[in-house]
Amino acid sequence: MTLKIVLRNLLAHPLRNFLTSGAVFFAVFLLSFLQAVVSTLDAGVRSASTQRLWVQSAVSLFVDLPLAYESKIATVEGVEWACKWQWFGGIYKEESNFFAQFGVDPETFRKSYPEIIVDDEHYKNFEGNRTGCLVGKDIALKYGFRVGDTVPIIGRIFPRPDGSPWEFKVEGIYESKTAVVDQGTLYFHFDYLKEAIESGDTDGEIGVGVYLAKVRDGADPGQVQSAINAMFENGPQRVNATTEAEFGRQFVSMLGNIPLLLRSIGGAVLVAIFFAVLNTMLTIGQERTRDVGIMKAIGFQDGAVFRLMIIESLVLSLSGGLVALGVAKLLEPGMRMALTQQFPGFAMSTNTLLVGLAIAAGIGVLAGLLPGMRIRNLTPLQGLRGQD
Amino acid sequence: MPHLIDLKNVSRTYQRGGESLEVLQQLDLEMEGGSFYALMGPSGSGKTTLLNLIGGLDQPDSGQVVVDGEDLATMTSKELAQWRADKVGFVFQGFNLLPVLTALENVALPLQLTPLSKTQRRDQARHALDLVGLGDRENHRPRELSGGQEQRVAIARAIAMDPTVVLADEPTGDLDRGSAEQVLVLLERLNKEMGKTILMVTHDPLAAEHAREIVHLDKGRLGRRDANGNVPVGGNAGEDAPS
Repeated sequence: MTLKIVLRNLLAHPLRNFLTSGAVFFAVFLLSFLQAVVSTLDAGVRSASTQRLWVQSAVSLFVDLPLAYESKIATVEGVEWACKWQWFGGIYKEESNFFAQFGVDPETFRKSYPEIIVDDEHYKNFEGNRTGCLVGKDIALKYGFRVGDTVPIIGRIFPRPDGSPWEFKVEGIYESKTAVVDQGTLYFHFDYLKEAIESGDTDGEIGVGVYLAKVRDGADPGQVQSAINAMFENGPQRVNATTEAEFGRQFVSMLGNIPLLLRSIGGAVLVAIFFAVLNTMLTIGQERTRDVGIMKAIGFQDGAVFRLMIIESLVLSLSGGLVALGVAKLLEPGMRMALTQQFPGFAMSTNTLLVGLAIAAGIGVLAGLLPGMRIRNLTPLQGLRGQD
Repeated sequence: MPHLIDLKNVSRTYQRGGESLEVLQQLDLEMEGGSFYALMGPSGSGKTTLLNLIGGLDQPDSGQVVVDGEDLATMTSKELAQWRADKVGFVFQGFNLLPVLTALENVALPLQLTPLSKTQRRDQARHALDLVGLGDRENHRPRELSGGQEQRVAIARAIAMDPTVVLADEPTGDLDRGSAEQVLVLLERLNKEMGKTILMVTHDPLAAEHAREIVHLDKGRLGRRDANGNVPVGGNAGEDAPS
């Protein structure tokens, strides 16, 4: 009966309650989206492996390291192998089609990332073709790349002297089971880039952006990290070896304090919507005064009418919130595709949805408290007379 | 044998616009169970206040209100709510039905407070609706009923819990003569056939004629007559109050 009264009361003012519920819808949708962005940014840090260390220049991530460091790093006690990574920074057809491209060592790259799923045959073809590339599932879907296609990339850091694009043949499309590796990147042979620089087919200098050092099973990553840093302490170029988690954090911090900014925006929206729902609930509370008087007169306890108001507020808020979460989940694949460059691996995780649900429920409970307390404290006669 | 309703030295004062308004002054009143009382008097004489005190909707500033052996002045609001649910059926001038519920649901509303099953509650509410002659209107909302029908639904709600006493505050005040007569006959039947004690506040002498005893209240003084205007044997003080 309680739920029946609540639902019928809400349906008695469909437009007002639809608009209030709609406000909650937009708030929860936005908050869930922002939470998903923050979670996506954090995912790389949370999913980081302790067995992978990143070695970069101690000066800056934008300063390349010498090629000779690869063999030196590999000799450090506890390091199994080192894999070169070089940022290419090219453009696919036009500026707006930006996605990440890295030159890597195909053999050690795959061994370093068992979380990457790619057809063995395709990977073998990639290893065997100096101009081949691997593309992530997301950009393959977005741009329609298929195995065998040629992807033209205009070099910005490594431009061809005649301005023509680099051409990479798609040998495989990978999926990723880890947030550390997104599905929006193109990987090609580092050696292809190196040879092009050496032969003058492209401008730019030979160097390695970062080395990935794989820590041998059983070795202490902390000690390995210290050993790598110590090895290059006296130059020729000092390095900074960091854990994968720390490396991910650096990338996030390069964007500024995005999580704080997003949470601030979300918080402001949340407060605004809370007051909108509270305003509606106060109006509803006023409207229920006489009904509450009747119910109390015939024997309902103060707590029962208080619960009625809380339930009404919860239903109002959760109806908007649940629809918002459903829509957000439905739109997740499209949003992931649209945001593949800005927030690769974007996902509406179960945690994000639960946070959204908690926010909707929280708005409902809090907005129901004040009118609930008011009607709870009414005497039956005050209620019947419509008094405060 | 103790009286069903026993008020001793009851006073009630309200604050209105900074002034104290003493509505009831050291009032004594005894009422027997199983009777039908009409409580009459001019506006502001304290009729509704007296009804509210007897119904546990209000509490006196001083004195004792004992109904069915229980002193209401000593009860907490929680105990009073439970007591009202168990002992009292209210019928108001403005009907006071919940507009979003059907006639049947309104009647079944107080039964929510009992341990009865859903089916039992529905059956009991249907029985009450049948008693007031509205069995065929159970799915109608209050706005789909006439005033007289609404008041009969309110009466069905009042008796659904099988209360000890039915308190009716101007139950015919908003009704035309024909509907009012139906409601009054119904209250009379509840008293005669079901033995319910009924206390009805009314301005209307014609309505009061349906009662077995009339209590006059004016400026805190009580007078009592039977339906024929005679002072009953053992009548209370205040025989000289205006009739």
